[in-house]
Amino acid sequence: MIFPQVLATEFLKLRRSKVTWLSFVALSLAPLGIALFMWIVREPGRAAQLGLLGTKADLSGLTATWPAYFSMLVLVVGIGGMLMLPFIIAYVFGREYADGTAKNLLALPVGRQWFVFAKLVVAAVWWLVLVVAVLAEAIVVGHALALPGFSAGLALGGARDALLAAGISYLLAPVVAWITTLGRGYLPPLGFALAMLALGNVFAKTGWADWFPWSIVPLSVGTVGQPVQTLPPGSFVVVGLTFFAGIIATILQLRHADNAQ
Amino acid sequence: MRVVATASSAIATYGLSKRYGDVLAVDVLDLDVRRGEIYAFLGSNGAGKTTTIRMLLGLIRPSGGHVDVLGRRVRPGASDVFARVGYLVETATAYPNLTVYENLEIQRRLTGAPRAAIAEAIDLMRLGAHADRRAGVLSLGYKQRLALARALLHRPELLILDEPANGLDPSGIVEVRQLLQSLASEQGVTVFMSSHILAEVAHLADRIGIVDHGRLLEELDREELRVRERGHVRVCASEPERATSALAAAGFAHIELADGHLRVFDAEDRVPEIARVLVGAGIELTELAPAREDLESYFLRLTGGVE
Repeated sequence: MIFPQVLATEFLKLRRSKVTWLSFVALSLAPLGIALFMWIVREPGRAAQLGLLGTKADLSGLTATWPAYFSMLVLVVGIGGMLMLPFIIAYVFGREYADGTAKNLLALPVGRQWFVFAKLVVAAVWWLVLVVAVLAEAIVVGHALALPGFSAGLALGGARDALLAAGISYLLAPVVAWITTLGRGYLPPLGFALAMLALGNVFAKTGWADWFPWSIVPLSVGTVGQPVQTLPPGSFVVVGLTFFAGIIATILQLRHADNAQ
Repeated sequence: MRVVATASSAIATYGLSKRYGDVLAVDVLDLDVRRGEIYAFLGSNGAGKTTTIRMLLGLIRPSGGHVDVLGRRVRPGASDVFARVGYLVETATAYPNLTVYENLEIQRRLTGAPRAAIAEAIDLMRLGAHADRRAGVLSLGYKQRLALARALLHRPELLILDEPANGLDPSGIVEVRQLLQSLASEQGVTVFMSSHILAEVAHLADRIGIVDHGRLLEELDREELRVRERGHVRVCASEPERATSALAAAGFAHIELADGHLRVFDAEDRVPEIARVLVGAGIELTELAPAREDLESYFLRLTGGVE
């Protein structure tokens, strides 16, 4: 069975990689940023004295409570996922082109689909660890801020919503993998991710929001209004189809297209 | 020339072509590389060598024709045969954040080679002092050694090497030459290598295929190369065509007219006779000298390069 070997090599490639640590540092700033907003809302006078974002925080209608803190965290994980996850995917797939190693891989006695599966597993594990680490950090930061209204049920609900948003974001990732193999580098997938983030937010305000894959995350985390409590089954079908279409397109790209660098 | 591949063919291409838009990179290429031989694919930059190698390895798809490697058709999804092939394509590349050992560990896992193969490959390519260094900080020569170690790690039956001497210092070039010779002669490994270093190729190859503008111009084996390197008499005359006729009439059988001068083969000891024939025919001579054509001159003449 070759897949465990391919998977092991994909994890080995992350060794001494600065990008993994950079992604942790970048996402770990999210709870700190939310905590800053909470503090500004709770202490507007001191925040104003310090010249912080007092006016803007007041306008946002936030309350410095655990429920508000978690809802912002879910929003950051959802929208962050639409940017951070393409970044991870672009790195995992695109480095083979940037480092010139794709040509070393693609004439090995290994079906090219296994590289796609292994890289998607690596990205999933990386993303899951990031999200769980950020949730753990958020709990610690929230307690340090002594926010009112904490309960185990609330924390579990917040974690569930964050993981659901992270999971939906992940289902969109294979399309980014396809763009990476098509463009053979980092820039096309990152450009695609930014474009889809913008388009997703635009479509989220329209009647097509439930059907446009990149609108479903903004819809579920509440970027464009109150988060929807339950997505229609059709939305899950759309993101599921997007997931499988992305995988198939990536495999076909590696298998049938020219892979010169 | 049509290829008739046999069980003894390690590589056979049939009308292999590759077109990029208006550019025909490889033009109906028929190759037959026999098992156990060292075949050098010789050509200038842009001659189509790397494109051909990419097609041999299934990295790009031919626009026409097809490739058999070790008796198996190269096509999408048929990767099993590459367990028996080691290769180096274009520049030597590796994961820069991983050590030499870790880069080879990736190759070992993906080819199913035994763990001991890594130490053997490191030893073979004299990488021991660099085994724990990150590939990103290696010199070009050591990156090339790492790439060759990767190609050899799983003891392949067939090596496909694109410019294997690239970046190596003179001692490294000799080492690689000796290594490839011993792999071919002692272990029966077939070596298909591209190169533009003619002296290297002349030392190493059992057969040489000269490619230009994607076409195979000529194939030479060692004996043919030796004959090519044979002496000739270089003749510069006022009327080259008439000089050719006069010499032919006088019994000189192997005459070539190129770039305005004549090469009279198998006639190094007949210089006075050539002079007599041409002067007798009223032809003015500006140069008459014995010469020898090495592979470089032959290559340049064949490909239309500057001599």
